[in-house]
Amino acid sequence: MKTFLFTLILFVSTAAFARLNVAVSYPYIGAITKAVGADKVDVTVLAKGNWDPHFVVARPSLISKLRRSDALIINGAQLEIGWIPPLIKRANNRNILPGTKGFLDLSASIEMIQKPSSVSRAGGDVHPDGNPHFHLAPQNILILARSVTAFLSTLDPLNRDSFEQNLQDFELLWTKEMLKWAATMASAKNRKVIEYHQNFDYFLQAYDIKGIATIEPLPGIPPSSRHTMELIDTIKTQKPCCIIHDVYHSTKTATYLHDKTGIKVVIMPHDIGALDSIESLSQLFDYLTSKFP
Amino acid sequence: MKKTLLSLAALAAFAHAQDGSQNSSFADAFSQSAFIPDISLILDMSYVNRNLKDEEVAHLEIPGVAHGLIGGHSHGEHSHSTVNASNGFNLNYAELALHSSVDPYFDLDAVFHFSEHGVEIEEGYFTTNAIPYGFRIRGGKFLSEFGYLNNRHHHVWDFADMPLAYQAFLGGHGINEIGAQLQWLAPTPLYWMFGIELLQGKNEQMFGTGAIAPAGDPETITVSSPDQPNLYVGYTKLSGDIGDTTLLGGLSIAYGDSRIDHLEDEEAPHAFAGTSTLYGADLVVKHYFDSYSYLKWQSEWLYRDLDGTQYNYPPDDTTQFNSITMRKKQAGYYTQLVYAYDQNWRIGGRLDSIYQNDVIAESTNKNMPEDLNRYTAMIDYSTSEFARFRLQYNHNTALYNEEGERQDVNSLIFQVNMAIGAHGAHSF
Repeated sequence: MKTFLFTLILFVSTAAFARLNVAVSYPYIGAITKAVGADKVDVTVLAKGNWDPHFVVARPSLISKLRRSDALIINGAQLEIGWIPPLIKRANNRNILPGTKGFLDLSASIEMIQKPSSVSRAGGDVHPDGNPHFHLAPQNILILARSVTAFLSTLDPLNRDSFEQNLQDFELLWTKEMLKWAATMASAKNRKVIEYHQNFDYFLQAYDIKGIATIEPLPGIPPSSRHTMELIDTIKTQKPCCIIHDVYHSTKTATYLHDKTGIKVVIMPHDIGALDSIESLSQLFDYLTSKFP
Repeated sequence: MKKTLLSLAALAAFAHAQDGSQNSSFADAFSQSAFIPDISLILDMSYVNRNLKDEEVAHLEIPGVAHGLIGGHSHGEHSHSTVNASNGFNLNYAELALHSSVDPYFDLDAVFHFSEHGVEIEEGYFTTNAIPYGFRIRGGKFLSEFGYLNNRHHHVWDFADMPLAYQAFLGGHGINEIGAQLQWLAPTPLYWMFGIELLQGKNEQMFGTGAIAPAGDPETITVSSPDQPNLYVGYTKLSGDIGDTTLLGGLSIAYGDSRIDHLEDEEAPHAFAGTSTLYGADLVVKHYFDSYSYLKWQSEWLYRDLDGTQYNYPPDDTTQFNSITMRKKQAGYYTQLVYAYDQNWRIGGRLDSIYQNDVIAESTNKNMPEDLNRYTAMIDYSTSEFARFRLQYNHNTALYNEEGERQDVNSLIFQVNMAIGAHGAHSF
């Protein structure tokens, strides 16, 4: 019992002097936060990069991670609606509550696309605030990095200069990378693609590529045979270059479409860790741009 | 002059309208619609086919444990209706749930259970969210976090009915009481939570707050009501991950006075007063193959110890009691395995058992049956996160008729569950 109490006191007291402990929902947010926070911040990523970001399991170990965090950064736009609220409810941590200064919703700083004018679940599991997969536009990463910098600076004003400096370094590097990716993608302009779910739309928009259809008939509704038959027609008439497929849905329907029409299927990562080789934000966009047909 | 006035009025009206459109609209100046709480409505219905008629099923009991487990069971003016009660169609419930923040310090939740028998406040509680050091307080009527299943609503269960031991020991609502709860989450890398609850203790299967008196002479209180609140619950839960496998285990205890009043029953009226303890142990192991496919093994063990006095009427006399000392030590468990193939399909099997049934009256064990088992299989299909269709088959060997003969009950249940409104959370 004594040792238990001692360990407990140790935990509580070290927490008081330790670096800022920031929990983030997805790996890409972790990478931005690490880029800005560097050695002044500890980052805990809650979701795994190779899983469907809509369906993260609210395992109790994530609750204990939130319990020990000083701040929480989420993607927002209801992407985490199915899993973050039950975690916050149980974490018993007032520092990370929505609306407090330790909580950052990144979607607030982004101009979102595809915001539906009316919302009904007859249209599938729609996101009422618009398409939440905005981190796949490289220019948005800069906006998000600035947002994270401002957030960390309010939480830890003593390290503001360090965060600002890290942001400048990151911006310089990222702008250079963006030029490289734009050059690679120049030839892809005006190409048409099919996705499984509209999760690459910001990427497509950034390089003037047109997403013409999705394998799922409606957001969150698994493929139906009728819709798949319609897709075969769409592919034959509109001649899209390829199917850009995420890593977490079954490729069964995509493979079927390939067999029927010969359309190329490309598995694309949506986040760090989606494929084993993707370990950083730059690698994510390197992969997306270099593997784009 | 008249014309001028008219045109002035028209101008004023126009200006007014313009003004209104700038402020979005007039009526909205004091609109509070942005503060409407999250609302969801969940409808649960079923089609049931049993090998026995409803009236036959209603008279069955688990000897020494509980009676009237399936179907509408009536004693006195109370009619308890469980889910899937009748052969044919059942509208089990429409559950209306509201949730919102109260202010920066509290959240409020309410769950209203609408059924053909009326409306019940299933839950209505506040929860603190601004207390430091990992504490949380909840007050009101809520589902106790005893065990794993108890605080989960029917519509998130993996089977259409309650595990046998739960239903037999605690009744169809489990521990659903008015009271206060204090929980503390340890700041450890593993999830480690402690909770205590102080509850009114009205649960009719095991606890109870009423006094006991013979119906023929209600002025003479044989056993007075216990100190209220009456029920104390404590638990701890521990969880961690091994790769893509999550383990969650818990130990629980519930202790309180018992006042079980079945004096208005038509068959063998009786009452029990004493003290009761319920012990629980639970373990959930869930392995994920990917975002949608998993294998979940869930088991709970319950042991109850009732110690007190049983009261019966002498023949043809309801003005006084015969009393005998009564001790019940009963234990049961359920263990279930569910495999989710993808977002649509799941299959599962469950074994229920009450394997210890010591009923000791005046230090004589009445040798009640102890091999009380139920076997269940289910398959379900979800068209989306919001609609689920489930086919379930039960083979129940735990029920006996009044002559003490075992009556196997086979049930085929087709359950439909749908939800609209606010997005439900998928707590572990």
